[in-house]
Amino acid sequence: MRLIKTFFAVCVAAAMVPVALHASSGAPVLPEQSWSHTGIFGSYDKHAAKRGAQVAVEVCMGCHSISLIKFDQLRALGLSEVEVKKLAEVQGRSKNDRMTSAMDETAAKDSFGVIPPDLSLITKARKGYEDYTYALLTGYPSEAEMELVKKVMAKGAISEQDALEVQSALLINAHDKEQMKAKLERLVGGANFNKYFPGNFLAMPAPISAGSVQYADGTDNSLKQLSRDVVTFLAWAAEPTMEERKSLGFWVMGYLFVLTILLYAIKRRIWAKVH
Amino acid sequence: MSTIMEWIDKRLPVTELIKSQATEYPTPKNLNYWWNFGSLALTVLIIMIATGLFLAMHYKPDAALAFKSVEHIMRDVNFGWLLRYMHANGATFFFIFVYIHILRGMYYGSYRAPREILWWIGVVIFFMLMGTAFMGYVLPWGQMSYWGAAVITNLMSAIPVVGNDLVIWIWGGFSVADPTLNRFFVLHFLLPLLVFGVVFVHLWALHAVHSNNPVGIDAHDDKDNLPFHPYYTIKDLYGVGVFLIFYCYFVFFAPNAFLEADNYIPANPMQTPAHIVPEWYFLPFYAILRSIDFLGSFSKLAGVIAMVFSIAILFILPFLDRSPVRSFRYRPLSKQLFWIFVANAFVLGWVGYNPPDASLFSGAIPLILIGRTSTAIYFGYFVILWLVTALDIEKPRPVPKCL
Repeated sequence: MRLIKTFFAVCVAAAMVPVALHASSGAPVLPEQSWSHTGIFGSYDKHAAKRGAQVAVEVCMGCHSISLIKFDQLRALGLSEVEVKKLAEVQGRSKNDRMTSAMDETAAKDSFGVIPPDLSLITKARKGYEDYTYALLTGYPSEAEMELVKKVMAKGAISEQDALEVQSALLINAHDKEQMKAKLERLVGGANFNKYFPGNFLAMPAPISAGSVQYADGTDNSLKQLSRDVVTFLAWAAEPTMEERKSLGFWVMGYLFVLTILLYAIKRRIWAKVH
Repeated sequence: MSTIMEWIDKRLPVTELIKSQATEYPTPKNLNYWWNFGSLALTVLIIMIATGLFLAMHYKPDAALAFKSVEHIMRDVNFGWLLRYMHANGATFFFIFVYIHILRGMYYGSYRAPREILWWIGVVIFFMLMGTAFMGYVLPWGQMSYWGAAVITNLMSAIPVVGNDLVIWIWGGFSVADPTLNRFFVLHFLLPLLVFGVVFVHLWALHAVHSNNPVGIDAHDDKDNLPFHPYYTIKDLYGVGVFLIFYCYFVFFAPNAFLEADNYIPANPMQTPAHIVPEWYFLPFYAILRSIDFLGSFSKLAGVIAMVFSIAILFILPFLDRSPVRSFRYRPLSKQLFWIFVANAFVLGWVGYNPPDASLFSGAIPLILIGRTSTAIYFGYFVILWLVTALDIEKPRPVPKCL
């Protein structure tokens, strides 16, 4: 019986733990970010989300829509009516319009080959959630990394040392040099490369870089800061009712704990005569 | 008050029914907490029907509108997010409870005479639930909804002669599309109400033969039984309280834990997701389906048959188990087989979750081999249980004479 129990425990554990499987895809591990809105006590960082709304409208919405949100709803993040109107005008909309991009879908398809996905639910619609969106925005090769790629490609053959260097910079598997070379060639040729996009090549060129947006309050506008802000905004856009949900949840849980303890006490009392 | 009740009772004996079937209904006194899961499943069924009714008032079963209407419920309908998350997570808890309920029946021999019909009705309910859950998952019209529907309905094409025509008939066209969504909505609305009806037949059958119990012998007299109220009303209510704590944790704090990220992408018939997985509660059966891949052109049909048979085999379980003793508590061999069966179900689920071309230890053990082995163990349980009991290999331990 002990053997059976051990077998049982091992099987259940194996089923629960995601064992490292050698599947066909080997997407790199996403760096874990800390967000104020995750976890059971989490709430949105309104300041970041407000800044992120500006990034979204001025940068992302050049191509993408966020159609499940209306401009006027941005006031929930602390934007004034005037600020909302100004942002709406960036895309030629008014404050009661949905946040749709000024670029039309046929034009987008002509330029990029695909219709840019709507971003309303993007942080819920990708494995890795917010961390993935952040990784994607910050995962385009930097200038230094491009220099490295050019240097390696100029030599012709990729040495072991170069392969490892490229692997640590761009997160491409160093074991498969053929594939690495093919990827670097495409990259040098001008294709859009991203460290975290499955398969690395995507239709979207690097959307933001340091300084893409000027914050009115002078907040740092490095790539990391802009990305964090816009991801915070997108997380809010994906679920504006999250804070209401969590705060109601605490009352419900508190009530249920008291109720269940009482039910247990009554159960004990009633059954005392039987045992 | 009492005169009103007397007037009614003369015409419709309500008081008598409540007394005999609820408050004074004799129930074995030794039922353990595994016997809570029937009432818990009923609780979830009621939650599902109630939330589903209100969701249906705001949902649009139209391929162009369905996805957006779900987000409309999430954002614009008062407490719509609560309705939707209760409904989505309710499905998960429903299956957890039904699985435990079935396994409890298997462990304590609740399927044995005279409870075969009670057991069969349970299996019918399980089939109906699977159909309901499958069609419900299609309604949000996300990528996993769409492609899950495409993969599963396509299985029908394996049926000889009529298969292809049958699939077109089910789809209402030449692919999963608007007509499919519309009819799945209608059936998803209808089936739970039928389930509710069949649950009452299940209870009728239960009350005809009364509950089994952990010892597995018949409860004889008043000494063995307790009136259902207050003993089991309070025990069931306490169980509901514990359930609601776990359930509400997921509803309020981790509502997407059991949902696939891909299903927040609107359905796109032109783009297949990299990896199509069914909901967690179908994974073991999905693994059985995929494990039959060695029969050439018959693989698909054989896989479908194996998958259906993996549940339908429960119908004949009452006749496979020939032991003179009901409860596995006194059956050392059966007990070991049972726990292997349970552990194996987890392995099957894990196999079903991973891509079919995956492998363990850098390709040393292809997943498909594990899947085939686990499928063999799954069906092996029923065969070996039959052999062990029919050939009297198992020597049961002595069973108490009373509860």
